[in-house]
Amino acid sequence: MATVQMPNPFAQVPSLGPERPVVWPARTHRKLANGLEVVLVESHTIPKFTGELYFRSGNAAAAAKAPGLAEITATVVRTGTEKRSSRQIEEDLRRIGADVGTSAGADTSAIGFNGLTEFSTDLLELVAELAHQASFPADEFERERRQMIEGLRIARTTPSFLASERMRRVLFGAHPYAIIAPTETQVKEYRLGQLVEYYRAYYTPSNALLIAVGDFASLQMMEQIERIFGSWKAATVPVVPDTTLPEFHGRRVHLVHLPESVQTQLVVANHAITRKHPDWLRLALANSIYGGAFNSRLIINIREQKGYTYSPRSGVHALRQHGYFSVNAAVRNDVVAASLTEIFYEIDRMRSVAVAEDELSDARTYMSGVFSLGLATQDGLASQLSTVYLNELPESELETYRQRVRALSAADVLAAARAFFDSANAQIIVVGDRGQIGDQAGLFGEVTEYSAEPE
Amino acid sequence: MNQLQIPLETTKLENGLRVVVSPDRTAPVATLGVYYNIGFRLEPRGRSGFAHLFEHMMFQGSEHAGKMMHIKLINSSGGVLNGSTHYDVTNYYESIPSNAVERVLWLEADRMRALKVDDENLRNQRDVVKEEVRVNVLNQPYGGFPWLDLPPIAFRNWHNAHNFYGDFADLDAASLDDVQQFFRTYYSPSNAVLLMIGDVTPDEGFALARRYFGTIPPGPPQPKADVSEPLFEGVRSGEVEEKFGTLPAFAVGYRAPERRTPDWHALAILDHALHGGRAGRVYRQLVLEQQIAVDTAGGIQYPVGDLFDYNGPTLLASRVLHKPEYSSEQALEAFDAVIDAVCQHGIEQDELEQVKVKFRSEYVSSLEGGQGPSIPRYGLMNYLACFTLFDNDASLVNSILDGFLQVTREQVRTAAQRYLDPYRRAIVFRKPTRKAAD
Repeated sequence: MATVQMPNPFAQVPSLGPERPVVWPARTHRKLANGLEVVLVESHTIPKFTGELYFRSGNAAAAAKAPGLAEITATVVRTGTEKRSSRQIEEDLRRIGADVGTSAGADTSAIGFNGLTEFSTDLLELVAELAHQASFPADEFERERRQMIEGLRIARTTPSFLASERMRRVLFGAHPYAIIAPTETQVKEYRLGQLVEYYRAYYTPSNALLIAVGDFASLQMMEQIERIFGSWKAATVPVVPDTTLPEFHGRRVHLVHLPESVQTQLVVANHAITRKHPDWLRLALANSIYGGAFNSRLIINIREQKGYTYSPRSGVHALRQHGYFSVNAAVRNDVVAASLTEIFYEIDRMRSVAVAEDELSDARTYMSGVFSLGLATQDGLASQLSTVYLNELPESELETYRQRVRALSAADVLAAARAFFDSANAQIIVVGDRGQIGDQAGLFGEVTEYSAEPE
Repeated sequence: MNQLQIPLETTKLENGLRVVVSPDRTAPVATLGVYYNIGFRLEPRGRSGFAHLFEHMMFQGSEHAGKMMHIKLINSSGGVLNGSTHYDVTNYYESIPSNAVERVLWLEADRMRALKVDDENLRNQRDVVKEEVRVNVLNQPYGGFPWLDLPPIAFRNWHNAHNFYGDFADLDAASLDDVQQFFRTYYSPSNAVLLMIGDVTPDEGFALARRYFGTIPPGPPQPKADVSEPLFEGVRSGEVEEKFGTLPAFAVGYRAPERRTPDWHALAILDHALHGGRAGRVYRQLVLEQQIAVDTAGGIQYPVGDLFDYNGPTLLASRVLHKPEYSSEQALEAFDAVIDAVCQHGIEQDELEQVKVKFRSEYVSSLEGGQGPSIPRYGLMNYLACFTLFDNDASLVNSILDGFLQVTREQVRTAAQRYLDPYRRAIVFRKPTRKAAD
C-alpha cells in the first residue's frame, strides 16, 4: 500500500500572511462655546463606553505652593458635590454600573469614567457635577489627608517608588517635575481653601479635554455632552513657567539606603525629550531595541543570559515640558556592579555600532504591530487618543504612525541613541541595603547617600 | 437585558485537544492562547513552586525554535506574549496582528510537541524566578499578603496549603529530569485547550489547529491530584512578620461553596455588596465612616484570581490594613460587625439591585480587558478556557450571568449565614516589626 509522504509542517517557520488593513475609526472633534474640547470615537465591541475628562494642569502647576496639591484636590473632588454626598455618589455609580476615578499627575488632572451605554446620561451628569460643582466637605478632606499620609508611608518602603522619587529629584532639580510625592509635613500643612482655590483655577472648560470611546452614536453623544457640559462657565488658566534643569558633568551614584532589602533596585537615567519633539519616534525605536521589548538587548543580556533580574526594562518618558530616558532593574544584591556594567555596555553599543538590518526591521514591525493592538478595545482606543490630543499632535498622527515607523533607518537609531542615551552623564540610582551592596556602586561614580525617609 | 451573544465555535481534535474560536473583525489583530489544566495547586508534593518554574521553561526552547526564538518570532511579528501560573491552570498567550496567526500556532504546537531545554536554561530561569519572588514578595511591603499567607493557615491538604511561588530549597532541588517528566505528564493535547480570539474565522482556525496540533500524540491520562479539603472546624489563625510597612493588617478567609451552585451565585453577589469598591460595605464602614482602616479589599479567590478561574477548594478572602492606633482586636471587631449585619439582616433590596447592575457591567468589561489594552480580550479568552477545561462548556460565557442576576435577598442572607461563619474561618495577622517615624 502506498503511503503519501506529508511534508513536515514544522520544518520551516511559517511566513507572515498578507497584512490586513489597519483602519482607525473616525473621530468627532469639536470645541464647545465654553472652550471644552471634545473628541469622540465609536467602538461597539461591548455595550459600554469609557473616557477621561482631562484638565491640562497637575501637580506641577501648584508645586510652588504645595507639592501634591493637584492630587489631593482630585481625591477630594469625588467625595461630594452641591447635589450629592460622598455615599450617594458611590451608590449612584453602582446603580448605573459605572466607575469613576479621579487622579492627578505632573501635567494633568483627570476624571476617568466608564459605564453602561444605557445609563450614559446619568454618568455624564455626575462627571459634570464633579467637574464644576464639587463641594469639598471638610470631614472628607481630613479623612483623605490621613489616607494620603498612610499611602506615602507605604510608598516610602517600596523600592521602585523610592528609586523613581530619587531619580526625579536628581534629574529635575528646581523644576516642579522633581517632586513626585509630598512629604508628610507638606500634607499636614494643606488647607481646604488651597484645594478649592486650585479647583476654581484649573477645573475650567477652556483647560479641559473630554475623550469618550464606546458604544454610542457620535452625533447624539456630542449633543448630549453639549447639553450637560454647556452651562459650565469659561475661565482663563494661569500658565506654568518653565525652569532650567540641572546639567550633569559625569556619572554620579545616588544610593538610597533601605535596611534589610534583599534585592537592589537600579535606575539609570538622563534627560531626553517631549512627545512633540521631532526625534520622538526615532528615540522610541532605539529604546525598543535597547530595552523596551521582551526581545530587546537588555533583557536578553541580564535576564535570559545572566539571570540577574526578573523584569528589566527601559523606557522613554515624556512630560509636557521635558522628558527622560530610564533603565530599571531589580537585581540580586551581589550583582549590582555586574548589572550596571551590562546596562552601560548595551547603552554604549547602541551609541557606537549601527543596528543590523534584520534587528531593525524586527523592531519596526514590533512597534507598528503593537500600535495596532490598541485598535481592538475601547480602553486601547481611549489611550491612543489621549496621547494624540493631550500632546496636541497632528490629527493624522494615528493614521501615519505605522508608515513613519517603517521609514526609520539604522542611522536614525544611531543618531537617537547618541543624542538621548547620555552614557557619560547618566545618573545612577541605587536603592537597597548599603551593607549588602558594599563598594559595588562606588565603581560607577561618586556616591551620595540618602535615607529612605524624605528630607 | 438581552443575553450576551459572543460568537464562538468549538471543536475537539482526535488527540483530545479542544479548540475554541471567537471571531471578531473589529481590528486586524488576534489574541491566541493555550491553557493547560495544571496549576500550582496540582504540582507534585515536595516540589513547591515547580508549576511556575516550569512555566518559565516553556519559553526556553522547543525542537524547532531554540532559546529566545519564541520571543523573537512573536515580537518581530508585531506581537506581545506572556504566560502565567494559576491555581488550576497555566496559560501561554500572544496578541498579534492577525497575519501572524499561523506562525503563533506553529510555535505553540512546537512547544506542546517537544520542549527542548538544557541544564543551563534551568539554572538561568531558577535565578530569574528567585528575583521574581524577591521583587514581588520578599522585598515589597505586604508582599504575598494574603495570597501566600492565608492558604497555609486555612488549608490542611498540601495541594491547597503550600507555598505556590516555591521555597528556594525546592526550586534549587528541581532537576532537568523533573522538567521533562512534568512536561510529559501534564503538557499534552488532551490536557489543554487552544483559543483564538479576534480576527480569525472558525474555518481558518480549526484548519490551522489540525495542521499543527493534529499529529501530537494525546499523551498519558493525567494523574488526578486529590485536592479535597475538609471543611473548617473552628477558627484557624496565624501571624506573619511585616518588615517594611508600618500599618498592621489582617486577612480573613471563609470557605466558598462549589462553583455553579445557587449558593455560589448568592455568595458572589454578597461578596460584591461587601467588597465592591467604595460603595461596598467593608470599605464604606471601615475606611470611609469609622476610619479605622486605611484600605480594604477582597473577593472570591482574591487577589490572584476571580470567581470563574479556579476549580477546587477556595476562599472568600478579605484584607484590611488599619491604623496603628487601633489594636488588631478592635479592627477585627469592626470588620466582624459588618459581617454580622449581613448575617442578621442580609442586604437591602435597593442594594441588591445596584449590585446586580454593577456586577453585569464589570463582567462585560472583564471580557474585553484583564491584561490591559495590549492584550485585547484576555478576559474573554480566560473565561472560555476555564469554562472549557472545568465545565466542558465554553458557551457558559454567554449564560453564566443569568444565575447571578436571579439571586434574591433571602438567598443572600442564607449564604451569609452559611458561609461567613465567625467560628469557621482562617485569620492571618501581618504584624509590622517597626513603627512609622512620627
